[in-house]
Amino acid sequence: MLYLELLLQGLIQGSMYAIIAVGLTLVYGLLRILHVAHAGLFALGGYVGLLIFNETGSLILAMPLAAALVGLVGMAVYRLCYQPILDRPPYVALIASIGLFIAMEELFRLIFGPYGLTYKNPPLQAYVNLFGIHIRAAELCMVGASITLLGVLSYLAQNTRIGVACRATVEDPEMAASFGIDAIKVRYLNFFIGSALAALAGIFVSLLSNLVEPTMGGVPSYKALAIIVLGGLGNVKGTLIASLVIGIVEAFGTIYIGNLLDRDAIAFAFLIIVLMIRPQGLFAEK
Amino acid sequence: MKKTGLIILALLVAVCMSGFAGASDTVKIGFHAPLTGFAASDGKSASIGAKLAVEQVNMSGGINGKKIELIIYDDQAKPSQSIPIASKLIGQDKVVIGISGSYSGPTRSAAGIFQESKIPYISAYAIHPDITRSGDYVFRTSFLGAVQGKAGAKLVGEILGKKKVVMITLQNDFGKSLAAGFKEAALNFGIEVAGEYQYSIKDRNFGSIVARVKAHKPEAIYASGYYFTAGPLISQLRASGVTVPVIGQEGYDSQKFIEIAGKAAEGVIITTSLDRDSKNPETASFISEFEEKAGFKADMVAASAHTAVMVAADAIKKAGSTDSVAVRNAIAATKLKVSTGTIRFNKLGEVVKSVQNQVVKDGLWRHHSIIDDAKILTPPEK
Repeated sequence: MLYLELLLQGLIQGSMYAIIAVGLTLVYGLLRILHVAHAGLFALGGYVGLLIFNETGSLILAMPLAAALVGLVGMAVYRLCYQPILDRPPYVALIASIGLFIAMEELFRLIFGPYGLTYKNPPLQAYVNLFGIHIRAAELCMVGASITLLGVLSYLAQNTRIGVACRATVEDPEMAASFGIDAIKVRYLNFFIGSALAALAGIFVSLLSNLVEPTMGGVPSYKALAIIVLGGLGNVKGTLIASLVIGIVEAFGTIYIGNLLDRDAIAFAFLIIVLMIRPQGLFAEK
Repeated sequence: MKKTGLIILALLVAVCMSGFAGASDTVKIGFHAPLTGFAASDGKSASIGAKLAVEQVNMSGGINGKKIELIIYDDQAKPSQSIPIASKLIGQDKVVIGISGSYSGPTRSAAGIFQESKIPYISAYAIHPDITRSGDYVFRTSFLGAVQGKAGAKLVGEILGKKKVVMITLQNDFGKSLAAGFKEAALNFGIEVAGEYQYSIKDRNFGSIVARVKAHKPEAIYASGYYFTAGPLISQLRASGVTVPVIGQEGYDSQKFIEIAGKAAEGVIITTSLDRDSKNPETASFISEFEEKAGFKADMVAASAHTAVMVAADAIKKAGSTDSVAVRNAIAATKLKVSTGTIRFNKLGEVVKSVQNQVVKDGLWRHHSIIDDAKILTPPEK
């Protein structure tokens, strides 16, 4: 029973990692940039969602609106931060990204205060009893949303023109361009989708803890990087599986070796062990 | 471009000079707290608490006719920041006393520098045991983790009469020293610790710990943490159907904890320094004036910083001069009624005062009980 409950908790945590890491891996696949500021957009999603909810009382409104707004901000991040430095070595973009992330954290603190914000009457706090296991509605919704969204996304990637264009651009940008695919449009689309997903993750996480803090992007900023490395950089399927694996490893790890290593240390120790055996990550094609 | 730069520089120099010129008839107290970074909320509370104390002292005539000037620096809760700040406070600002409104890491490093320069230094709420061990010029106005952990054991085992306890411990010096104190005293109160699970300060999702704790079927839970970890932890415990009492400590002590945990916060009991229902006029006036000044509820951090400034002001007054030896001796001899109760210091510079237990009732921290058992409260002397 306990094992089942821990497994479930791992899947919940893993599905949260998945919706964050997918955006990151899309950007890496396309531009070879480690987009650390993605975690800042995750936190921004938490803030925007909470503010809209507290204003309107409607989660149905808050979620898509926050996702769309943060998606647009993601596009602006590409246009203003990355596009001007794309011809520089990759570490330049990485440094810019870290700088942007820190600036966002401090901006949240200046605008919204250091104490963090909470939901008035937080929604989805009821729990359901599944064979004796209590699960909160917010947890169920997060798992459901991540399965649905990622399923729809993979369907679109396989079956629509723009989806095929995206995949072609990742595969071979020059060849794709010669077939008339607008690489710039593909990039904007990627940033929009990835950032919107991060925003949704931010809202779900803040529903679970009823807290949106300036530093809430801190853990995802490096944990998601570890996950995409584990999944084989730029590989979407690998990233999804790696997210779930890390979630489950952490869920069991915090109980059985938690007094020796904390959650992050467990995840990174696991990453190191896997990379020693498979340096290319779990699912890299090469 | 160059010219504007020069003009700005000149203006800055002029401003600094005028600052120095006007400052000669004040008594300077140095203060560092995390005003930015992850601990910025505590830094804000602490600095408002300290400023309030300065205003109160200055309003009632200052110290021996001179006003206090509080010099505040942001240490970001980082030792790498507090070390240059300590040197600056001593060398450049020439403060009479330094006060830490910060966490253990930065306070430990700054304490050594103040001790070396023989300038008195007071840690408002940083709890690491090594801070006061820096030397005889370093004092602390908050409980050692071990003392508060023991008080927690008395609260659980004797006052509440719960014997089977699961511990959820925050993996830093705060959580670990509390846990050590709790376990040390647990035997004396017949408490059996059925299990202990640790989490990191960055965790907000406690799903797996909650599942494990529940499987133990404890009579009570002793969980260390700060409001931003304890809030999510308690709400997740309650959501999973755990109804037994949860006992926390001063890290919970903020209205924000109740805001985060919502209804789940009801009935949570903590060991802390600030009694909201106190009849003590120093405490009552602190609470009302703080809330008016800050616009939010008073907390332990604010009360501790307020206390530290009051101790400093009282000592300088009694010393009758700003001579560091005289001020140090005056602090050591402190006997003062302040916002956190009646306090004095032991030989090591550790505070001796009662533990205030507070419980959440109808969305507010209220009086639960007091622990003034000398055996528990006496801090170590080395």
